[in-house]
Amino acid sequence: MKRREMLGALAAASGLRGSPARNPAIGCGCAFAPASAIPPGSEVFKDVGSKLRITDMKVYGVTLDEKIARADRPYVFVKLETNQGLVGWGEATLEGKAGAAMACVNDLRDFIVGSDPMQSEHLYQLMYIGSFYRGGPVLGSAISGIDQAIWDIRGKFLGMPVYELLGGPVDPRGVRGYYHAAAWSLEEARALRDQTRQAGVTALKFQLPDLLEWVETNRKLTRAVKHMEMLREGLGPDIDFAVDFHARPSPTVAAIILREIEPFHLFFAEEICPPENMRAMQRAARKSTTPLATGERLIAAYGCNDLIDLGIVDVLQPDIAHVGGITALWKVAAAADAAGIRMAPHACEGPVGGIASLHVDAAIPNFLAQEICGLVEAGEMNRVWEDLMGFSAMRMVGGRYPLPTKPGLGFEVSEAALKKYPFQGTRPFPPAFHEDGSLASL
Amino acid sequence: MRPQAKPQKIWSNLPAFAPQASATDHLSVANVRGWRVREPVSGRRYTVLRLETRDGLVGYGEGGPATAAEIGDAKAAAVGRRPNENEIIRHRLAARPAMEAAINCAFLDLLGKWTKTPVYQFLGGPTRFKARVLAQLEGQTEDDLATPLQRAVQQGFKAFMVPIPGRDSLWRMQAYVDAVRARVARVRSLADADLDFVLDAAGTLTPGDAALLATALEKNHLLWFDEPTTVLTNDGLARIADESVMPIGLGRSVTDIATFQNLLRWGSIDLLRPSLGLNSISKIKRMAAIAETHYVAVAPYHDGGPIATAAGIHLAASLPNFFIQQIPFPTAERDAAMRTELTSGNQEVAKDGFAPLANRPGFGIEVDERALDRYSEERV
Repeated sequence: MKRREMLGALAAASGLRGSPARNPAIGCGCAFAPASAIPPGSEVFKDVGSKLRITDMKVYGVTLDEKIARADRPYVFVKLETNQGLVGWGEATLEGKAGAAMACVNDLRDFIVGSDPMQSEHLYQLMYIGSFYRGGPVLGSAISGIDQAIWDIRGKFLGMPVYELLGGPVDPRGVRGYYHAAAWSLEEARALRDQTRQAGVTALKFQLPDLLEWVETNRKLTRAVKHMEMLREGLGPDIDFAVDFHARPSPTVAAIILREIEPFHLFFAEEICPPENMRAMQRAARKSTTPLATGERLIAAYGCNDLIDLGIVDVLQPDIAHVGGITALWKVAAAADAAGIRMAPHACEGPVGGIASLHVDAAIPNFLAQEICGLVEAGEMNRVWEDLMGFSAMRMVGGRYPLPTKPGLGFEVSEAALKKYPFQGTRPFPPAFHEDGSLASL
Repeated sequence: MRPQAKPQKIWSNLPAFAPQASATDHLSVANVRGWRVREPVSGRRYTVLRLETRDGLVGYGEGGPATAAEIGDAKAAAVGRRPNENEIIRHRLAARPAMEAAINCAFLDLLGKWTKTPVYQFLGGPTRFKARVLAQLEGQTEDDLATPLQRAVQQGFKAFMVPIPGRDSLWRMQAYVDAVRARVARVRSLADADLDFVLDAAGTLTPGDAALLATALEKNHLLWFDEPTTVLTNDGLARIADESVMPIGLGRSVTDIATFQNLLRWGSIDLLRPSLGLNSISKIKRMAAIAETHYVAVAPYHDGGPIATAAGIHLAASLPNFFIQQIPFPTAERDAAMRTELTSGNQEVAKDGFAPLANRPGFGIEVDERALDRYSEERV
């Protein structure tokens, strides 16, 4: 029996509605129809819940041309449909694991289809705690996509943008952001300064010049420090610039670099070492006066708790597409706020997660700046985003992202446009190697 | 389920991403009035605020006792604000916690009434369909406690907060421990139902005495030992937490989130007890989010009136780590009568130990302003 026929036979045998072949691109034979009409445990809410019900959940993989976006990061969008015509969108993009994220979204289907989307907290708990195996980036991203879509529906149902449901806006002028940038000479840095000022942008983020080992040579240490010295000189005193260490150094190497870059007054230094061992990060953090940021790989408020309680970082950067959506990002922000830690949410996915982040950003008093994987000069990627969203999504005006004003997350994704970028499968993160062939942290 | 003012019309005139204009602009607060309320016999005090929007919608909020000047500060902070702007109010009124609680409560009432939706839907939707409740009994002796306990049992309550006996400073500690044990045994024997108890020390003990008492009572399986001491320092509380497995509830006078975060960080607290009179619903949601990552439950303290009780039940519905909501249970008939007169749709009832959720707009209650007038010391 061919695969497609077998899936059809399974569906017919179990009497399930919906087409199991809806997501053939994922390439797994998972059953995509719910086992029952309503999620487990939901019957007790019949007298206190709304009449709104989620009727279907769709997951889209969106692959952009390799010249626009790297092959390891197709976007994963989640769409929820309801019995009252309202739909919700969310993003579950997980770099290098698109297929797993899409399959995991579908694994959660029994919890979601048939449920009342007004129960965002309960559904979050159902997906996180009800999954038994808690946390991890695959489950975190799947929950994130679904949670954002649930909040989109909640906002539309209550007639308000999500940031208003969260108690905002704190600053109605919009959300401060920063773009990615690169400059490898003083001339380039000066040109970038002029371009940045002209665009009204106030902050940028750069990479380190080299891969780093756990102990480093004079050559690479000096190059890292000189690079940041050059950036400060070229950008001038007024542009805030952060440097993403991207977990390349060990705490040992990070401490040396951090000591010597203090005079350049970075906006923050990001992921100064890998994030699994927070006490190890604390070793380097204790010695630095440069604000430290981390958090893009952390899942749920539980995953951020030690960072906050041990007082390691100044800035937390959970990603709304991994941490657990709006529900989890807001909870992390609440804990960070009490501890005097500011929020600069990571966003290196597509436009849906970026805009969802803006809603949380706008509603939290300890917000610092919002990332997006875009450059000061809009590129080909932004044209695709405009195609998908119908407006120039995640572009700053005067250094800020304007606040969405429509109910919910405030946009609709064009499904016609989605068809132009079909899912082309998953590619892993491209690995990087040291000169002796051993694996480097990229 | 559509807001009255058809806000879609406003949005359609705007580009997708224009700033500032909001669908709730017409809900800006135009006027604030307040009642300083007092229960006739118990003397329990609290404040009720009435917020009226530009287009005439009215919302009510309750906070702890406040002076007329503090009510004036609340008015200054709220007028011109839209009822979703809770974060700005939280900071503006940080030094007036009772007023922050009242304004936030009234804001949520306005949002719920405007959208004809119960407030818990704004707070993340129901995580439970009923909320466990705790009757706070009045009385100094076991005989004082007996009648109200039996009345509360008849009214469906199954959990009760009882005070520890007063302690003479000449009383040997071991004799005092025996007296507390005897009280617990006595209240347990007063009704033969399956009842649970919280022992309330009201902050009267030293950490050392509290640790001794908590350890002595471990096997009584009280729900928890409440507010054993006012010494909320890490080393003071460590004595209690290190020596005993008795769950410790703390925080009825705490008004900032960071204090709870610190207690959680040091493992000093098993139940967060933020007072509904001193902390807004939105602020308690933040406290609860932090407690969740420490596997610690929230049981709001409440020594105010029936509006805050109703608000507390909506909060309870929304919190994944809610455990129980305290409700004052007055002994005096006149006090009990006042609590039922202030609102219709009274939520201070229990069925088998739980209060039902009100699936009605706002908090699901109607406030009677004439009753507020009758029981107020001052109108502001």
